[in-house]
Amino acid sequence: MMTTETLQRLEKLNQLCLTDAEKDTITAFFNQQADVFLALNQINTENTERMVHVMPILTVVREDREIKLFTRDELQESAPETYDGYWQVPRLIE
Amino acid sequence: MKYETVIGLEVHIELATESKIFCSCSAKFGGEQNDHVCPACCGMPGMLPVVNKRVVDLGMTAGMMLNCKINRTTTFDKKSYYYPDLPCSYQTTQWFAPVCVNGAVEIETSKGKKTIRIKQIHMEEDAGKLVHDDWTDTSLVDFNRTSVPLIEIVSQPDLSSAEEVVAYLERLRTLLRFAKVSDCRMEQGSMRCDVNLSIRPEGSDKLGVRTEMKNMNSISAITRAIDYEVARHIDALENGTEELVQETRRWDDIKGKSYSMRNKETAGDYRYFPDPNIMPVVIDDAWYQRICDSLPELPELKKQRYITELGLSEYDAEQLTQSRAFCDCFEDAYAVCGMAKEAANWLISDCYNILNKKQQTADMLRISGKALGELIKLVAEDKVSRGNAKKILSVMFEQDIDPLAYATENGFIVSNDTGAIEETIQRIVAADPKSVADYKSGKEKALMALFGKCMKELKGNCNPQVLREMLLKCIENA
Amino acid sequence: MKLYITENGAKGANTVVPDDMILTKTMPTSAGSKMLEGYQGLFDAEVITRLTNAGYEIGGKVNVGEFSIDLLGESSYFGACTDENGVLTSAAAEVLKTGDIKAVVAMDVNGMPRRAAALSGMVYIKPTYGTVSRYGTIPVACSGETVGVMARNTADCREILAAMAGHDDKDGTSLSEEQCAAVKTAGAPIKKVAVLQSLVNAADADTQARITAVCDALKAQGVEICTVDDDVCKAASPAWNVLLSAELCNNVSRYDGIKFGYRTPNYTNIDELYTNSRTEAFGLLLKTAILYGSDALSTENYMNVYDKALRIRRVICEAFAALFAQYDALLLPACSKTAYKTEEVGTYTAVEEALFTAPASISGLPVVAAGGVQLMGKAFSDDSLLTLAALYE
Repeated sequence: MMTTETLQRLEKLNQLCLTDAEKDTITAFFNQQADVFLALNQINTENTERMVHVMPILTVVREDREIKLFTRDELQESAPETYDGYWQVPRLIE
Repeated sequence: MKYETVIGLEVHIELATESKIFCSCSAKFGGEQNDHVCPACCGMPGMLPVVNKRVVDLGMTAGMMLNCKINRTTTFDKKSYYYPDLPCSYQTTQWFAPVCVNGAVEIETSKGKKTIRIKQIHMEEDAGKLVHDDWTDTSLVDFNRTSVPLIEIVSQPDLSSAEEVVAYLERLRTLLRFAKVSDCRMEQGSMRCDVNLSIRPEGSDKLGVRTEMKNMNSISAITRAIDYEVARHIDALENGTEELVQETRRWDDIKGKSYSMRNKETAGDYRYFPDPNIMPVVIDDAWYQRICDSLPELPELKKQRYITELGLSEYDAEQLTQSRAFCDCFEDAYAVCGMAKEAANWLISDCYNILNKKQQTADMLRISGKALGELIKLVAEDKVSRGNAKKILSVMFEQDIDPLAYATENGFIVSNDTGAIEETIQRIVAADPKSVADYKSGKEKALMALFGKCMKELKGNCNPQVLREMLLKCIENA
Repeated sequence: MKLYITENGAKGANTVVPDDMILTKTMPTSAGSKMLEGYQGLFDAEVITRLTNAGYEIGGKVNVGEFSIDLLGESSYFGACTDENGVLTSAAAEVLKTGDIKAVVAMDVNGMPRRAAALSGMVYIKPTYGTVSRYGTIPVACSGETVGVMARNTADCREILAAMAGHDDKDGTSLSEEQCAAVKTAGAPIKKVAVLQSLVNAADADTQARITAVCDALKAQGVEICTVDDDVCKAASPAWNVLLSAELCNNVSRYDGIKFGYRTPNYTNIDELYTNSRTEAFGLLLKTAILYGSDALSTENYMNVYDKALRIRRVICEAFAALFAQYDALLLPACSKTAYKTEEVGTYTAVEEALFTAPASISGLPVVAAGGVQLMGKAFSDDSLLTLAALYE
């Protein structure tokens, strides 16, 4: 069961703030999914390795070579706020 | 009551690569703010991570230097938290299968030798840098350092004093510099250290409350921070001045105090999971062997060999083996000229002085050892005078030159033309009868003056012994 | 009804239109989200470069649900796409219906383009994972999402797929040139098809009738049809939902109001900047998925939920491998209930629809949606699947 505390922790962890109506909808969804997922426990996976990648390719690496793709101005064109070539944010207390 | 201190270290080391770990931006230190940045390292969507092979090479090298077991299959994972210096709000690191595990290094302190166990070494990306700007009262974000490759070396809690911590860090630095894994410059942040510390009554096997101090950037600051933290813990236990809690603290070296860091990373659930975009890296036998073969001889073994096989003094051998660059240059020079003592001298005195003037460290020596060997040979064969050889050496610090070709082009070759020397001497002696008379009346200094004038006229290209003899003969006949 | 997010005017039989998940340097890419409204990417996705090099015009850009995770197309910030009866449909399928472009290149994150193609008489191919580069696509569920093609017929799908497929060094999951070549060369004809009965049973009568019709058409062409009953397929949907949500949670954590995209005007400190930017810019469906994914990755749930889903993925892949030892392809529904109206839609209304699309998403296997059904094959059988679909299109 999804509790108010857990939901609150999840909101905080993901930098979201839900309305009460949204909380109700999401809680209902979580509970419904929990039941669905429960069925998966019937499938024995004790001796099954987890599968992160569906294709069995390995060791994709590149040579250590520097390539400059874009200028700072290009990268900051879509920035909400910049100052002197920096991205700017409210002051963080050190 | 007597207490003992239990310390574990997490040491972050920036790797000496050209490009970043998952994108091809420059990994060099410095640069204009946000100049070494691409869409990937400022968090924009669309680019995909591709692992820099050199990072794996250096991770393995570090592991081998620290006697670790290398995981032949190593994988990358994502760690999530929000902070403005982390552009994707996740860091790609190694959580499930780090590249190296179970190592050990031996340290030596006033109390003798001790083995410090290494739990693991993992590869990961660095975060960016925040600048707090008083003028605008905002924080400013620079992503140049974002995704610069790091290894994190995690020790077991085997350290028990500031002295041991310092010895451990210095040992790591020597080994990793020798293996060219990193320049390990604490002042530039390429070596950083988190200290996990707790105290307990002597003899107890229960660990006390542990605090973590982050990102200290000098050996002396680490010493002060440990001493302060031990005193704070003991004070808390003995006098109940405060309740110790497990937390992250920041060391303020100016105030000489540590502070609780409640606002950063307090949420604590990093939600690690395997990165679907990075395939497992499998280190096959050939790759493993290539790294084994590239490992340097350990500095203390090198030193011993220089003394017993090459006949260097203890002092010279010690000086040379402070730096891998000096050792490499020395060995290359020796291979060419076959004169160990001479090669050592040129490095320890002449090269060292030039580096000093340039305000560079021994590791920044970039001259060719082969060329140095050629130069030493030219001096030994009396083809170039020592004075001129020093001038040529200075040029070697600025550009790649062939010493013989350079000496020839610039008139630094010792003249064997005794006729020309004779002619010069006669001209100078004839022009300075006063000095000749002075010398004949017993003033040694006058001979030096004449000798100097001749040498200058000959641009130094004359064997001093030969010049002296010819000069004396000429004065006698004058 | 919003079909195009940006219109650059390109039209015609030589024009291919990317959806709003694919970066183009001449048009903004917004992923159907207020967060990225007007966001101008700096480079072209690899598929755009390849299509341009092959001589196609790039039109655009087609609306998608927010970060392409919905199955009905209801969640786009720029407006859901509905037909004249108020029934939800897909922008990709609607622009194809107009007939003035050749194909739509659409990200298959959660099966939406397959469902849409099946409902609107279009053909969509989700190629074998790793054969088409994902460089320059908005990342959501990287372990399974694929760039695919929607067109009016199998021939156009085949042509565009051939232009897009190929190895790309910039995508660490890209397969070798040889492996990629397999999807664009003529494959062996499919002779034996198995119907996944457990999924057919879960669909509505209309869908079941379509399955029967396709079976009859294939039989008439000499294809052998069998029935298998493998319940493990049903595990794909909940397991994929966990994987998708967790990867999404992580991938969209980069949208925080700092570097680009939407920044709230309502903040006095960094936490408010983060929270208000994300809260104001993300829709409810996305928020639900973020929280669901975050919960699956939490320390308490990781082993029981996320790790379990990864193991289920292998169980499913092994089950498919066993089926492909006996059959050349699998036939399954593309959807259950066919028509949803906007007013019916709440969070994850259509979650049960994923029952049919998740098997190919979680396994990375190639799948063609055509004639209202899906044909799924073993890795690299993409071309054979298109040929099979052509038998009844």
